[in-house]
Amino acid sequence: MTTHVAPVAAAAPSVNPGPVAAPAIYLAHAARWYGNVVAVNDVSFSLGAGVTGLLGPNGAGKTTLLHMLAGFLAPSAGTVLVLGRSPHRDPSVYRQIGLVPEREAVYPFLTGLEYVKFNARLQGMRDPDRAARAAIARVGLDDAMDRQIGGYSKGMRQRVKVAGSLVHDPQVLLLDEPFNGMDPRQRIAMMDLLGELAVAGRTILFSSHILEEVERVGTEILVMVAGRLAASGDFRAIRALMTDRPHNITVRSSDDRRLATTLMADPAVFAVELTQAGLSVQTAQLGAFRRLIAGASKAAGVRLFEVVSADESLESVFDYLVHR
Amino acid sequence: MALIETASLSKYYGSVKALDGLDLQVEPGIIGLVGANGAGKSTLLKILLGLLTPTSGRASVLGMDSVTDTRAIRQVVGYMPEHDCLPPDVGATEFVTHMARISGLPRTAARERTAEVLRHVGLYEERYRQIGGYSTGMKQRVKLAQALVHDPKLLLLDEPTNGLDPTGRDEMLDLIKRTGTDFGITVVVASHLLGEIEQVCTYLLAIDAGRLLQAAPISTFTQRTPVLAVEVEEGADRLAAALTARGARAQQNGARVLIALDNEVLYDSVRDVVADLALPLVRIQQERGRLEDLFRDAAPTGAIQ
Repeated sequence: MTTHVAPVAAAAPSVNPGPVAAPAIYLAHAARWYGNVVAVNDVSFSLGAGVTGLLGPNGAGKTTLLHMLAGFLAPSAGTVLVLGRSPHRDPSVYRQIGLVPEREAVYPFLTGLEYVKFNARLQGMRDPDRAARAAIARVGLDDAMDRQIGGYSKGMRQRVKVAGSLVHDPQVLLLDEPFNGMDPRQRIAMMDLLGELAVAGRTILFSSHILEEVERVGTEILVMVAGRLAASGDFRAIRALMTDRPHNITVRSSDDRRLATTLMADPAVFAVELTQAGLSVQTAQLGAFRRLIAGASKAAGVRLFEVVSADESLESVFDYLVHR
Repeated sequence: MALIETASLSKYYGSVKALDGLDLQVEPGIIGLVGANGAGKSTLLKILLGLLTPTSGRASVLGMDSVTDTRAIRQVVGYMPEHDCLPPDVGATEFVTHMARISGLPRTAARERTAEVLRHVGLYEERYRQIGGYSTGMKQRVKLAQALVHDPKLLLLDEPTNGLDPTGRDEMLDLIKRTGTDFGITVVVASHLLGEIEQVCTYLLAIDAGRLLQAAPISTFTQRTPVLAVEVEEGADRLAAALTARGARAQQNGARVLIALDNEVLYDSVRDVVADLALPLVRIQQERGRLEDLFRDAAPTGAIQ
């Protein structure tokens, strides 16, 4: 589905739509331009239940994409469907969507409870008060719900926005930089909350620049670069498909030089370098290397202290996708 | 002499205690300042800059009192605020030169220093363009440059990577590290991102509810623990069983097996078992502590244990 940019993108796995008839989120050749500026360009993917991280440099089109999904913007070309329907100007779809915008779009003169209750009424909830209190409890703002939002800290404002987006228990949750301004404990709690919602079968798409955190929440990602979708799917699978990038593994042992000799004899390994941090091994066949390393050390009579992949993290995958 | 010293420092806003008897001493290095929202970080920075007067207690920077020696302190302190505070309609050169002049540098020196710090932060041709058209990353660099232009001995950075994308963040972190080591000045970095602090800082200051909670070198939190983690693509259960049979204390956790590292011979057991079972080995690594553990499982909201 992601047939553009370079071989990696072409080979990137399309998201598995699963047995469900309509995926929660579906885009086919979707584009959005503002005058001559192309913000989103020919993007196709679909998402089912679970949590997906939306990544990309500033200006890559992440916010525009989220706004199209939320129904704020109609695509200039192509199709955008949420739960099988176009969200643009269709309030019945809004009932199923929760949005946390990046901007601090909250009324400072309302209390937290009033703001969330207002959202509940907007969504036509039967018992706005109860729904609002439940949503506020989910984000842990109970103590502050009767105070005006104007006096909240950034992390609290962020959480009240999340409560407002959750109040109608939407099937699809869109979050633009939800962790921004949160302190360490609030971040951990929010990551846990997103995980719980994913387990409960919701579809969650969140943008973030903090790759360590994205990696903690899940492995499914969408990477946008200059308006295009550079890759989608499980980042480990995406990494495995980057056949033009050899895998780099750092090995520490009791006798690096001796181990290097043994490893070099195997065709799976094509470069070994002795460094301060240990042996830096390059291989094009990660699977073969993983089956080789323990046996090779045993044969060489070398004690193996550490084996660590140097470029399998989300950070390396992202870096490879953005800078190539 | 400590670079920053506070004694029973308190600041109340009405009934809210932003700082409540804070005692701390900061030695040179790159210092990470963390705390929950509302813990008093910004208040502390503002007192150190002489922008706020403490309700009680005292604070000093390089031995100078924060209330009586405000002007002298500003000569030696550089400050990078968190919020967007740059004028949009001037170029970086013009703005940073202006800031240098305000700090009392003569015209020529201001010009030279500006050229130097802009090069240090990595702004080249763009420096003559209007700041309003800059990207977030470029703006952050200008904010850092103006904090450095008068050659301070202490740099206070408030959320320096806010709004930056991954590449911009890496570059800014690298810049902070280089600024600390190349110029040999002390840098205080206030941030919510613990990974970032682990990456660049040498020392951690954690405050909560206006009090000092932790003050120690970062390495004390990220030390190796006596646990060896072994990750395999498949067969973690068989690996754990075989290791247990050999007398190791091993426990399976998903694709990983955690082993109590009682002695060095264990490394050989792991190697041999993985080789004998022909398991695809992903990782062998001694577990490390993480700063995040400080913030995990503590019960009351907003408190660091």
